[in-house]
Amino acid sequence: MKKLTLLTLTAALLAPAALPQDPQRATVAFSDPSRPKKLVVDMSFGSVTVRGYSGQEVTVESSNRFGIRAPGRREPEPPPGMHRIGPGNSSGLEITEENNTIRVSSGPSPFAQADVTIQVPTQTSVSVNARLGNSVTIENVNGEIEANNMNGQVTITNVSGSVVAHSMNGKILASLNSVTPDKSMSFSTMNGEIDVTLPASIKANVKLKTDHGDMFTDFDIKTDSTSQPAQVEDNRKSGGRYRMRFDRTTTGTINGGGPEIQFTTFNGNILIHKK
Amino acid sequence: MNCEEAKSRMTDYWSRSLAGQDEAAFSAHLASCESCRSEVSRVGALWQSLDLLPLEEPSGKVRDRFYEMLGAYRQGRASVELPAPRRWWTQPVWQMAAAAGLVAVGLGLGYGLRGNNQPPAEVSQLREEVASMRQLVALSLLQQQSASERLKGVSWAYRAEPSDREVLEALVSAVNHDTNVNVRLAAVDALRRFASSPETRRAVVDALPGQTTPLVQVALIDLLVDFKERDATGVLRKLADDGQVNDGVRQQAQWALERLQ
Repeated sequence: MKKLTLLTLTAALLAPAALPQDPQRATVAFSDPSRPKKLVVDMSFGSVTVRGYSGQEVTVESSNRFGIRAPGRREPEPPPGMHRIGPGNSSGLEITEENNTIRVSSGPSPFAQADVTIQVPTQTSVSVNARLGNSVTIENVNGEIEANNMNGQVTITNVSGSVVAHSMNGKILASLNSVTPDKSMSFSTMNGEIDVTLPASIKANVKLKTDHGDMFTDFDIKTDSTSQPAQVEDNRKSGGRYRMRFDRTTTGTINGGGPEIQFTTFNGNILIHKK
Repeated sequence: MNCEEAKSRMTDYWSRSLAGQDEAAFSAHLASCESCRSEVSRVGALWQSLDLLPLEEPSGKVRDRFYEMLGAYRQGRASVELPAPRRWWTQPVWQMAAAAGLVAVGLGLGYGLRGNNQPPAEVSQLREEVASMRQLVALSLLQQQSASERLKGVSWAYRAEPSDREVLEALVSAVNHDTNVNVRLAAVDALRRFASSPETRRAVVDALPGQTTPLVQVALIDLLVDFKERDATGVLRKLADDGQVNDGVRQQAQWALERLQ
């Protein structure tokens, strides 16, 4: 297992002029490029961008925003006459490689705050988990893609394979050039919109649910006629309100049906485009 | 020599490959044993008549024909002739169609001949095997590393028997512990299939307080309303009153409480 630590702190302290966008770089190779490759990113703060390219190695660039967004969190000066042992712990990125899986995480400190841009070989499966970051962007890769973002938008463009994506508060924007047959997919967001573009020839069973939004598509989706009737509740006699509630789950098939694709949003719209 | 040994030597005797001591012992046994003697003479006659058949010698024509054939083969390879048009019934498509037709006829016959009785034991056994196969597929897919595979496992759970406790447990465990929100959501939905079991209802009520993802919370609340689960009011009340909880979730919990009361 290779283990690198990106230390952005020293650079930040020594060269304050270059501080805002001083990207730190590291390159890691997969132990066996001919076998299936996987990248796992787990970040507490900051935006994550993963981009496929024609190379065989993974390059990680981190623009640390230490000192700008969190000016209070400076590495404490050593007491007079003493020096620090080992790296500081407030801004490291940890990168590991094991069993053809490269992991990039914000390290032991939950306050590490950096935007990372990662380049991976095109044929790589990617899994990104961002907790309090801004946006998650994944482009130009071919593989199994998983993205989970707490606050920001998830953007997945120009990819092939399969996608499983969730954002709590952001929009889900995904566009697939081709899909791996027989893979299940799922897109969900609590408060955002789901905007997905799929290949015109895709065969799928779709399951759509939005509680407070609308659904649009230019696909010819054959919806099941077995949708449940509206549920009516009438509390007017007891001074309450009258409310009709439709079961907001719609199921149907595209091009005769296939593996399941699920779209779930509470407050947003669902748009499914034909590529 | 006893009868057993003598019988094993008979073939050698008939083919005249028995010699020396063996032959002497064999003859001695035959002299003393009536049954072996009669068998030797009976089958021996057959062997002798076989000997009378003339040996077929390959005629000179065989050689000519062989070289003729070889020549034709070489010529055929050299000129790369197009294969002769195949008969339509040798085409795989037609063969498959015929096979499918036969299966259909078989099914039709089976259906027609089937009485109004209970299905025979083999059928219910087969059904059981299919059910356990589906269970196996669902359970193993739910253990996969890839979220897409686990989602597929959830959709296999729809094909399991509604009484299948192991699949139910796997789904409940996915709802409570799966790291991927989308898998948890799909698992909540799949629990509808197991609505008839009180265990399912209990599990849904218990799962709600442990969830922090609003979308999953909403899905669980909807499920409780569909189950008309009155035991859930305590949990729902807590959610509706908790200022830390997402507003949408609180409204949904409030709405569910009204529905259940």
